[in-house]
Amino acid sequence: MQRLLLLGLNHTTAPLEVREKLAFGVKQRGEALASFARRFPGCEAVVLSTCNRVELYIARQAHGHPRVEEMVEFLAEFHQVPAASFQDHLYQKANELVVDHLFKVTASLDSMVLGETQILGQVREAYEAACQASAAGALLNPLFQRAIAVGKQVMHETALNEGRLSVASVAVDYARNIFEHFRDKTVLSIGAGKMSQLVLQGFVGLSVGQLLVCNRDALKAQGLADKFQGQAVGFDKLAAHLVAADIVVSSTGAPHPIITRRLFETIRRQRRYRPLFLIDIAVPRDVEPAVGEIDNVYLYNLDDLQQVVATTQSQRKDAVAAANAIVTRQVGEFAAWNRQRELGPAIHRLYSRYHQIAQDELARTLNKLPNIQEGEKAHLEDLARRIVNKLLHDPVQVLRESGGAHTPATQYLHALDKLFLLGAGDEREEGAASPGEEHRGLPKPDGLA
Amino acid sequence: MPDIPSAGQLALVFAAIFAFVVGGGMSLLRLRAERLAPSRGEPGGRRSEALRVFSKVCVCAGVLLCAGVLAWHGISRGTWRPLEDNFEALVSLAFLLTLFVAYIQRSHPLRGLDWFIMPIVVLLLILAAVFGRTKPHAYLDTTWSLVHVTASFGGFVLFAIAGSVGGLYLYVNRRLRSKRLVPGQGFGSLERLEHLTLVFVTLGFALLTVGLVTGLVRVLEPHGRNSLGPEWYRNAKVWLTFIAWVVYALVLHSPINPAFRGKRMAFLSVLGFMLMIGTFVAVQFMPTR
Repeated sequence: MQRLLLLGLNHTTAPLEVREKLAFGVKQRGEALASFARRFPGCEAVVLSTCNRVELYIARQAHGHPRVEEMVEFLAEFHQVPAASFQDHLYQKANELVVDHLFKVTASLDSMVLGETQILGQVREAYEAACQASAAGALLNPLFQRAIAVGKQVMHETALNEGRLSVASVAVDYARNIFEHFRDKTVLSIGAGKMSQLVLQGFVGLSVGQLLVCNRDALKAQGLADKFQGQAVGFDKLAAHLVAADIVVSSTGAPHPIITRRLFETIRRQRRYRPLFLIDIAVPRDVEPAVGEIDNVYLYNLDDLQQVVATTQSQRKDAVAAANAIVTRQVGEFAAWNRQRELGPAIHRLYSRYHQIAQDELARTLNKLPNIQEGEKAHLEDLARRIVNKLLHDPVQVLRESGGAHTPATQYLHALDKLFLLGAGDEREEGAASPGEEHRGLPKPDGLA
Repeated sequence: MPDIPSAGQLALVFAAIFAFVVGGGMSLLRLRAERLAPSRGEPGGRRSEALRVFSKVCVCAGVLLCAGVLAWHGISRGTWRPLEDNFEALVSLAFLLTLFVAYIQRSHPLRGLDWFIMPIVVLLLILAAVFGRTKPHAYLDTTWSLVHVTASFGGFVLFAIAGSVGGLYLYVNRRLRSKRLVPGQGFGSLERLEHLTLVFVTLGFALLTVGLVTGLVRVLEPHGRNSLGPEWYRNAKVWLTFIAWVVYALVLHSPINPAFRGKRMAFLSVLGFMLMIGTFVAVQFMPTR
């Protein structure tokens, strides 16, 4: 009888300062798994460590080790940090809740950026590291393989990974609707504030040809330009910079528009009517709205971008509901499969034991009846078998239907072992699975079959 | 010899029209299905994929039906050239257009292109069904005629694609300016659409110029069969073609004179193509010689 445990913390429960203390690098993860195996032999473990979460997945025998406090102790000792410094940020889950949590993690429903696909690769890496360290076994192998499949299913069958959630990335997406190539494009940042930095970060990812930073404070401009390997330029030559620019990000604190229609009309010809993407994220606005009426000028202000963010978020609500439906269904299927995996051997042992007792008693009785005919003997054997089957039918039925929150199958199985002296054999034989092995009776997720 | 299409051939043309209309409709429904799938809590990918496949099957069926019509008509006339009469010419134009689009969509997919091209294909097939039945033409009496017709039809196909891409540019541009475009829908960037328009207009312009020159040679040939008559220069077809040629020349100027780039170029490519359609319609009302 195995029990699933999860101990971890993530971006919602712990600040960066705490998360970074407990993070595992690639090398550290291998060492941790080896150390864990030495300390708790026979226990399965997977360590998932990303920039947003550190989680320790455990599968151990019921009433075995480690217990939660031992897991906390292990983390504290491994990272050499006092347990008190992170204990309050930890969450712990058991059995079906662990399955639910892991499936949500791989489906990116638990991510900071909803629908991001990076987490799927990170879970896969964590699982592969556990496989290499022989730390994943009969329960964690199928669990993680299923979790990865569920993550893929959610990505394929829902719109969760479509659309973006930040103003900066929406701006970048719009730029892609206007321009095909960015290597020959110039991005001009007017202002050097935090919002400009965020938007520029997105454009730098597109490998733009040139990045100009224009700010009244030359030092600030230089600082931002250095950060993104751009060039700081003077604010006094703004018109000349606008001629060179293809994308303009403006976020100054100026009380009046600094790019007016009049200014733009004068440079339009010099720009050779090239398309210009103007992103005005300043409040009050830096660009006169009339500039957006000019042909080949695409002006987006903070409201426009936030509206798209809101739209994609509301569209995502539907996608999140669809993804949650998939996760719930898959958790149910996995739980049913796992219950069957664990109940099968116990029920088999129960029936074997009582049929054996019946057969023994029948043999003793038959010894006392020397003149019994073969036909009568067969009737008695049939009678003994039917009595055993009828006696065990109801308890076994209850056992098969157990697994809800109020009647956990593990408790029944444990009671069964104790009350009927079944003596747990090697349960792993029935449900044992290795990486890449097909798990009997565990249906593949829809769309991936 | 020209041959009026049989009822069976016309039935195949109407079947092709039906297939293209259904295929185009499926393509539009696909966008809707992708938008609505999450709210229904059903897998959007699967439904969208089914619509995509169904749309593709319909378009393929339409292409095969067009090919079947051309083969049947050719066999009944005993010739392999699919340009010898009005019916064949219009069906083969539609056929070429769908093949070209299939190629583009396979090599450089551009969402929404079929929304603009399928109506043109359907229009050509309707013209073939209407005018092919009532006004058979014999075109290819001399080498000049053959070059003229081939170049003109080739140009028409390229202008149809340029016009469709131009239309798509205007649609995307309008959505972008009205802030109603949701990023990531795969319509292609304005820069790419502009580039494609220019490429197809350039190629089409070259063929149209060849068509114009050979057409001129044809009408000026002393012993040639000139279907336009002695006052050919007063014919609507000639003027429409010439105006279309000037419009496309303006489009070609956009790299030199950037005032024509972007929206104007897209508008001109759509206008030029409408003039080309006008030319084709004008041809239908010309006397047969």
